[in-house]
Amino acid sequence: MTATALVLMEEGEPSEQAAFFARGWGDGTVHSVGVDAIKPYAPDAIAAILQRAADDLKAVAVLAAGTDRGNDVMARLAARTGLPFAANIVAADPADAIEVTRQRWGGSLLENAILISDRPLVTVAPYAVKAGNWPGPIAVDVKRYIAELDPRDMVVQVKEHIDPPGGGVSLAEAKVVVSGGRGVGSKEGFAIIEELAGLLGGRVGCSRVVTSAGWRPHTDQVGQTGTKISPDIYIACGISGATQHMAGCKGAKRILAINADAEAPIMSLADYAVVGDLKEVVPAISAEIRKNK
Amino acid sequence: MNPIAAGVLTIVMIAAVALFGRRAELIYRLIRKGKPVARFDDIAGRARAEAVVVIGQSKLLQRMVPGLMHAAIFWGFIALLPTIFIAMIGIVDQHATLPWLGRQGWYALLVDVFAAVVLAGVITAFVIRKVQRPRRFAGSHMREADLILALIAGIVISLFLWHASQIALGLNEYPAAWAPISSLVAQGLHHSWTPYLERGAVWAHVLLILGFLVYLPYSKHLHIFLAAVNVFFGRTRARGRLEPINFEAPMDADVRFGAATAADLTWKQVLDTVSCTECGRCQDVCPAFNTGKELSPKLLIMGLRDQLLSGATAPLVPNAVTDNVVWDCVTCGACVRECPVGIEHIDHIVDLRRNLVMVESRFPDEAATMLRDVDRAGNPWGKPQSDRAHWADGLGVRVLDAGEPAPDVLFWVGCAPSFDERAKQAAISTAKLLKEAAVDFAILGPLESCTGDPARRMGDEYTFQKQAKQNVSTLNEAKVKKIVTTCPHCFNTIGNEYADFGGRYEVVHHTEFLAELVREGKLKTLAGDRTITYHDSCYLARHNDVRDAPRELAAAAGRAVEMPRNRERTFCCGAGGARMWMEERRGRPINEERVREAAGTGAETLAVACPFCTVMLDDGVRTTGAKLQVIDLATLLSEAVERRRARDSAVSTTDG
Amino acid sequence: MRVLVCVKRVPFTGGKMVLTADSMALETRHLGFTISPHEECGVEEAVRLIEANGGESVVLTLGPPEAAEQLRDAMALGIDRAIHLQTDGQEWDAQATSSAIAEAVRADESASGPFDLIVFGNESADAGGYQVGLRVAYALGRPCATGLKGVKVEGLTVRCEQDVGGGRDVYALPLPAIVTVKEGLNLPRYPSVPGRMRAARKPVATSNPARPESQLQLIRLTVPGGSGRQTKLLGTGPSAAPAVVGMLREIGVA
Repeated sequence: MTATALVLMEEGEPSEQAAFFARGWGDGTVHSVGVDAIKPYAPDAIAAILQRAADDLKAVAVLAAGTDRGNDVMARLAARTGLPFAANIVAADPADAIEVTRQRWGGSLLENAILISDRPLVTVAPYAVKAGNWPGPIAVDVKRYIAELDPRDMVVQVKEHIDPPGGGVSLAEAKVVVSGGRGVGSKEGFAIIEELAGLLGGRVGCSRVVTSAGWRPHTDQVGQTGTKISPDIYIACGISGATQHMAGCKGAKRILAINADAEAPIMSLADYAVVGDLKEVVPAISAEIRKNK
Repeated sequence: MNPIAAGVLTIVMIAAVALFGRRAELIYRLIRKGKPVARFDDIAGRARAEAVVVIGQSKLLQRMVPGLMHAAIFWGFIALLPTIFIAMIGIVDQHATLPWLGRQGWYALLVDVFAAVVLAGVITAFVIRKVQRPRRFAGSHMREADLILALIAGIVISLFLWHASQIALGLNEYPAAWAPISSLVAQGLHHSWTPYLERGAVWAHVLLILGFLVYLPYSKHLHIFLAAVNVFFGRTRARGRLEPINFEAPMDADVRFGAATAADLTWKQVLDTVSCTECGRCQDVCPAFNTGKELSPKLLIMGLRDQLLSGATAPLVPNAVTDNVVWDCVTCGACVRECPVGIEHIDHIVDLRRNLVMVESRFPDEAATMLRDVDRAGNPWGKPQSDRAHWADGLGVRVLDAGEPAPDVLFWVGCAPSFDERAKQAAISTAKLLKEAAVDFAILGPLESCTGDPARRMGDEYTFQKQAKQNVSTLNEAKVKKIVTTCPHCFNTIGNEYADFGGRYEVVHHTEFLAELVREGKLKTLAGDRTITYHDSCYLARHNDVRDAPRELAAAAGRAVEMPRNRERTFCCGAGGARMWMEERRGRPINEERVREAAGTGAETLAVACPFCTVMLDDGVRTTGAKLQVIDLATLLSEAVERRRARDSAVSTTDG
Repeated sequence: MRVLVCVKRVPFTGGKMVLTADSMALETRHLGFTISPHEECGVEEAVRLIEANGGESVVLTLGPPEAAEQLRDAMALGIDRAIHLQTDGQEWDAQATSSAIAEAVRADESASGPFDLIVFGNESADAGGYQVGLRVAYALGRPCATGLKGVKVEGLTVRCEQDVGGGRDVYALPLPAIVTVKEGLNLPRYPSVPGRMRAARKPVATSNPARPESQLQLIRLTVPGGSGRQTKLLGTGPSAAPAVVGMLREIGVA
């Protein structure tokens, strides 16, 4: 009898983290099904495949990364099977009644809950777990499942892809993000932010206050209801660090906060801090970078 | 007695009065059709305003030359009023005059002197308009003014010529010696044609006056009649209070909030627009106009007047007034204060805003977040109310619980000093000083919610009233009697506007309260060597007449110097009218303008008494690089108290 | 056209989490409430769809009696009527919520005809379960696309646009369909006072469904500790620039 956990794999670090997390379930064997099993993307079909595979493997649990796609597919799996689904967990204690710790409010609050289910369905919160070294999950051959798909499961599928205007890397994928908040003061004030982002080959982001004021489009917004980013470095200028904003940049490997107020929440949540007026500090950084170019 | 002359005069008079009456009736009906507003309280105060502003020409006399010029013409008109009747009698009967008055030497002297004064006034007016050409006339109808001045000149010149020719012909009923100027002119009038001159002059005089009468209601000179009326109906008390809307009144399907069309204006607003003389004094002091914005209070009133008189039913915004003009206003009240005919421009702006915000939802996007935050979070920045007392951590300040009765003094902190890093300092200093003076006070902490002032000034009366009712309920439950606040906007709203919602408290600004503590000796101070210039907040100095107490504190702290625009003529920091939450997209920044003025005094300390002034002026200092430190008066007082304590302890140790 | 939008009453926390003494809920004493942000855009979209196509819009919530405030807010923007599945204030998990909503939808549709489109928020601001819209879709047997930033009804289909890493993915679903949307879909209008007054008189159908047993049972809530990051102060003012650039060079970015 295998006590395998089944993981939905997408490209990217969060998926690897989820697979690593899955090792804690059952006897530690982990199988995986790729999101790209159906191209470009048909979530009901993938949920159907997962359901069949889980039954065939007698999976102990089904996991995925708490990404948009991960949550989408897992919720459909939960709906088709009538099983409970806990999204964005950060910890789990697999026992008879499984206790999970999951995120509320984008991670600003944690909930401990009992999941009453024979086959727990969970997604793992991105960047909540560190993936260590291990050989990786065993891929399931999905060919026969695809052949037996119900056409009704193909109704919801991606028909078309629209490329982003102006090309380049999106905010969600950018390796460097430089953000401005209320402290920038105006639409024109973002010029210095754009300058620094440009010098570092990164993207410009902003807080919700900025999009509400109409200084930047919503596509630039970083936060719980905006884009969740995971850059190598996130430079937050004039952003106080409200939890809804921090929820969007938790995935950043490093955070540098520049703020005139030494007491602003972000100043103790970041990796690096500079206390000062961003209108002076940001151009100074840009000038320093140019100096040695 | 000349029956033909009498007949012609009668016909002409009837015609003139009819023409005048028709137009006057139209204007009267427009005013009567205006929406109701209560302006019948404080008769004593209103009478006083009449005496000082109208009879005393107080607002006009702030500018010496134009003021004297106008006073000359105005007082001249009053003095010369009986000469109209004397002239009419004189047309009918060359030998008759007004009983008693027409024979008085002193009256003849009065007439001569005032006629000359009026003429001098008219000449001065022409010199101002044609030679000096002040900016305040930009946009005014200059030709209309020229015509009026010419008519007035014609009236007094014809009067002189008539009197002079009367004297030359010996027809004067008054002693000629008492009319020196007319007598002088009479010496050159001993000619054969003098009798014709005499008849011609008196007819010209009366016809010009009747022509003037007819022209009056078609021109801005209507203010001769209406100014006195408009001043009478202006606010005398609680000038910072806006008229509330009754949302509970039964509404018909066609709901009106604020002013969408001319039919929505109140009778006072209609009266305002037809009283305008296009003098431009309001424009001259408007911070928006003077920093390159579209708003000119004068052009605003003229635009509304023109639409009103044309009978057009189109929406006022954007047809009479553009959206930009409506949002440029900082509600500082400089225009209202300057206006010699008592126009209250802020009421017009706020009513236009009320319609735009509450009915059409058409206003600067960035302010929507503020309005939603006031409604949902209880403060304009959407910060957590549970953090509201954080500024007081470690100060030992008592925070009231729900229902707990308040001590003698409730310290109403305000949203800005509670949450803004720069504005907090004023609250901290005030709390420390109150403790030092052993005042029994407490704060409401999270129970304190935004007074709603920014929502009300934006025109969102609905959100304002929700906040007002909530706060009044909290304050009344705690049985609050006396409130001290650091924010002039809270001061104005709670003190002047909450009474409409059942909240009656004694409200004092922190500078007033602290100044009294100093006077009573409960706080002892020692002035330092800072040169301090104090920036009067609009909502203190102008809307509420608090000007001296802050100065007492400045003087206690250092050496005080005044800015050119000070006290009730202060220049706004730019944050009022909810503009703190709107982008300044056109022209130059208002705050920088004021910072430059402050820097020009040579002071290195810019003292403030308002959290918004603190933020705006500090921003202005940063962007202009001025060598100024923006500090609240409470903090300066705190320094002075420390200084005194240090000196006293140094003295006592050397004594010991 | 008939559109249903589902909303949830959530506290407006200002970013700060304060728990009740028993750690089972947020302390809401000093908090205002609002419709969850994604759903506010859903309400605006529903209003726009009916403005463009004619028909009827309905707003539904499962929540305590106070949630009527959110229903009135939605109707102030232009929604025609409301359905209030009233609870006693206790939390309902996602499965329970979904089955109650599906039940209410079936009841309303049998009385007034099918909804062409049902709009949900992608996830609620508080619980963030990411599943209610999808469960309702499966219960009703309708196609559902999630996390949408663009919704356009074109005849008998709805064109759905979803933000992905680089650009947008597009779905075309046959009506009747269900969509879950994200903030950024549109900019919700500010409610007018006449709208609020009309909303006060619009009909609300209230019922009190029984709460089924939960399969995801809350034990307690906790506020997580710091980010786990130790903040290093690189300097004050522009003079910190060299230290910053040094750090950026170290991580290979500058």
